[in-house]
Amino acid sequence: MKPKPSRSLIALSTSALALPGISVADAPPTQSTASYKISNYQEDDLSRSEAPFGDLDRYDIDVHQFKLISPVGRNFSVNIDANYETLTGASPWFTSVGLDGDPDVNLSGASGIRDKRTEVSIGARYYLENGSIGSNIGYSEEDDYRASYVGFSGERHFNNDLTTVSLAFSHSADDIFPTDAELFGRVISESKYSSSAVISVSQIINQFSTIRTAFSTTEQRGFLSDPYKLIDFRPDNKTQLAWSNSYRRFFVDRNAALHLNYRFYHDDFGISSHTIDTSWFQNLGRNYQLVPSIRYYSQSAADFFTNIDDFLKPLNEYQSSDYRLAAFGAISGSLSLVANFGNWTATLTAERYVASDKYAAYKVNQPSTALVKYNRVSLGFDYSF
Amino acid sequence: MSTARSLVTIILAVSLLSACSQVRPWERGYLARKEMAWDTDALESALNDHIFFSKEAASGGDNAAGGGCGCN
Repeated sequence: MKPKPSRSLIALSTSALALPGISVADAPPTQSTASYKISNYQEDDLSRSEAPFGDLDRYDIDVHQFKLISPVGRNFSVNIDANYETLTGASPWFTSVGLDGDPDVNLSGASGIRDKRTEVSIGARYYLENGSIGSNIGYSEEDDYRASYVGFSGERHFNNDLTTVSLAFSHSADDIFPTDAELFGRVISESKYSSSAVISVSQIINQFSTIRTAFSTTEQRGFLSDPYKLIDFRPDNKTQLAWSNSYRRFFVDRNAALHLNYRFYHDDFGISSHTIDTSWFQNLGRNYQLVPSIRYYSQSAADFFTNIDDFLKPLNEYQSSDYRLAAFGAISGSLSLVANFGNWTATLTAERYVASDKYAAYKVNQPSTALVKYNRVSLGFDYSF
Repeated sequence: MSTARSLVTIILAVSLLSACSQVRPWERGYLARKEMAWDTDALESALNDHIFFSKEAASGGDNAAGGGCGCN
């Protein structure tokens, strides 16, 4: 006969389970937490061989993020999120055939683009005996883009809280109103609508490991083209499917945790992709943590992708030279240092991202010349009170 | 169709796992650690989602989509 655990041990374990690590016996967070993160990421400039004329400077982006989550009473929590982003630089405008027969890219805006993005969202969550339900609304605005969105989610625990099933739905209504529309013959004003749904199942495997699988679908309709490209005509409907899987394991002898994630994606533009990423959370003493991460991504090309714009093609036939619709692969690696001091946590992260057709897992029929590389540095603080 | 079949297979496999593993609440201390969370840093995840959304075609998976952006 197994010895029964003491009441104090059960109480201790139960309070530990209120931590965000595992979803059992749902309860609001025990403390309020305010978080702030400042980030800068800078895309590598193009080379003169890739863009024979005009600017070579690509985007330089600063991001400020703020989050506050706070318990309200015994069964509620509320959260508010705010982001502010500024960008300068230039993006691909059109592609043409070079003297060597290879595609050349031409960047927009000789004097560069300047834009800013502000986003605010608020949410609330109600905690039940065996789960929780929540909702959020948000608004995002740029000089040429506006998005309003709403989301609902719920989760329920089964099987002695070993299994959790979650459902989430969201809808976004976006307005696009490009700058200098009349000057460059761009659309004046267009709309786009996106609806998505996610179902996920997570399972505790043993004392040290958990697994989760999730399936999401997103339906987009409206203006899905890029208004700033000289030529860009895409279908006005897109269905996206994604299947993601996550695994977490704690290694007691190493005092470290392994994160492993894989996602398969497919949409009816003809693009499929694989994403795999892994992180190692190494605790160093009581106050520090080092987190190296690596990610691999690869996608196939959209059915209508072209790496050289065809100006003679009928305007009602789909085509786009957007590098995000090309076949390519991308490898990124990052390193984070986390320091905990009392109620404060500081996190410093450095990341390098490189996209290339050489890394593609799918066949590359038309390599894009505009694939992106960037460096990112972030510094974040969390304060619990 | 094959994706849907794979999903059903995984859900069944996960369900079967529950039959062979009983982890009592007081045995879940390691699982409750912050570094074992699905999402250890909400701001970092949101930032990565936003950057990858603006550089790659794929999105979605774990979370319902938020608002779009004019990320060109």
